[in-house]
Amino acid sequence: MSTLYSETILDHYIHPRNWGRLSSPDIVADSDDPSCGDQVHLEIALSPDGRVAQVAFEGEGCMISMASASLFTERLQGMRVEELEALTEEDVLGWMDVPIPPNRRRCALSPLVALRAGLAAYRRGGEPKAPAQKG
Amino acid sequence: MLDVERIRADFPALSRTVHGHPLVFLDSAASSQKPLPVLEAMERLYREYYANVHRGIYAFSEEATLAYESARDRVASFINAPVREGVIFTRNTTEAINLVAYTWGRANIRSGDRILLTEMEHHSNLIPWQLLAQEKEAQLLYLPITDDGLLRMDRLDSLLDERVKLVAVTMMSNVLGTINPVREIVGKAHEVGAVVLVDAAQAVPHMPVDVQDLDCDFLAFSGHKMCGPTGIGVLYGKEVLLERMPPFLGGGNMIHRVEWESATWNRLPWKFEAGTPAFVEGVGLGAAVDYLTGIGMEAIAAHERELTAYALERLSALPGLRVIGPPAHQRGGVLAFTFRGIHPHDVAHLLDREGIAVRAGHHCAQPLHRRLGLTATVRASFYLYNTTEEVDRLVQALEQLGNTLGQ
Ligand SMILES: Cc1ncc(COP(=O)(O)O)c(C=O)c1O
Repeated sequence: MSTLYSETILDHYIHPRNWGRLSSPDIVADSDDPSCGDQVHLEIALSPDGRVAQVAFEGEGCMISMASASLFTERLQGMRVEELEALTEEDVLGWMDVPIPPNRRRCALSPLVALRAGLAAYRRGGEPKAPAQKG
Repeated sequence: MLDVERIRADFPALSRTVHGHPLVFLDSAASSQKPLPVLEAMERLYREYYANVHRGIYAFSEEATLAYESARDRVASFINAPVREGVIFTRNTTEAINLVAYTWGRANIRSGDRILLTEMEHHSNLIPWQLLAQEKEAQLLYLPITDDGLLRMDRLDSLLDERVKLVAVTMMSNVLGTINPVREIVGKAHEVGAVVLVDAAQAVPHMPVDVQDLDCDFLAFSGHKMCGPTGIGVLYGKEVLLERMPPFLGGGNMIHRVEWESATWNRLPWKFEAGTPAFVEGVGLGAAVDYLTGIGMEAIAAHERELTAYALERLSALPGLRVIGPPAHQRGGVLAFTFRGIHPHDVAHLLDREGIAVRAGHHCAQPLHRRLGLTATVRASFYLYNTTEEVDRLVQALEQLGNTLGQ
């Protein structure tokens, strides 16, 4: 029906991977976009050598944000914290198998917004906080 | 009855195809398309007599000034303003409301005063009052709505007393479509001495509006939603209030005599129009008013009522589709809905692939959506150029979408 909604996006939307919560996450991250209601909650557990061992997410939002979050959880496996911190918007958009038009990039990037907030809180050693967003 | 086919021929953009389909434009509540007479009036000014308005002692400037000021006369008679001095050109509705908040508001609102709004206001009739209330330690009150999106008029009397200095209310909601009983609200507000500002951004483009009949103190609207260009809007105000208000922006044109340390102000309406105004856009708005008047606001309103009733019936028949807001006879041509739990951005995106332009989001009314238990909706809105065939295209596309994605 639409080139935007590829098989991959539909598949991840309908069957989200790594849905749920972890028993003892090291990094907990939230994004909350009041303008469209996309919410992503991301949890990451690190292995003793500092790599991503487990990722889980829960959320509510449009197909693109949810599919992106689901894809995201697969792609983060095995990364070091420095690699997580080095992730760019282009990396995340590149994981989607179709080009995301400018007016939907924000949806695709909501897991990255969550991750960055979570990483910042992790580095501070404090409680993770949801980032403030423009409305 | 409108001759919609003839009207459509006046709007070049409507003949475009989008993603291989003939365009179905259902987002006029955000901004309308533009008819040829508006485009031509602006182009003529640019090509034939462009010069800055006011005080130019040569033919071009005089012609441009005349065209700009005659647009003001046409706007004044369009809303039945008693005098042209009450028609101030602004950038849009938002600037018009801010003008009142910054000038009248800062001169008249004191600590402990109350400002009464409603739960269905657009952010532009909400944020300026929040800023004012925070600065002055005034209190904001909200007239609640029913779950159907009607104002709880039974609660008005208990909210209105001498502490309320201002009532700011929309004449028609850009989300619910509700047409509010503004005349009644104005009457009751005046009984307690409150000033009333009407947000008519969705009303003036779609129905006859008579400021003397409403007896409102201020009324704001935007040119771009009524076939006019962007960058031009209107604040109507009662002359006695405008005379007593301090100016808004300072600069050229709004002054009378300037000394090193002080200045006196120009007469109305220019006291509130600092700097070079958007006069080409003003002329465009004048042409839009002529265009709408030529067709007739009663006829436009009747056409939209018919289309809205038809769309409401057809959309409500779709399984899993919920239209928010009141029944057809209490609303204008705005239909916001949710569909089978599919996120509104996805609905809008997929409709776009079928050539159908609708809006998705909170439509600049986050508190209202929260009140309704929603974060976002899809909104289809109609204007004089929309047809029942276009409603059918929307319904068909939604059916198809539901079949593919519906859970
Ligand atoms: C009811 C209402 N009020 C105010 C506005 C603001 O209009 P503008 O963006 O032209 O200032 C709009 C349009 O978006 C509206 O629908």
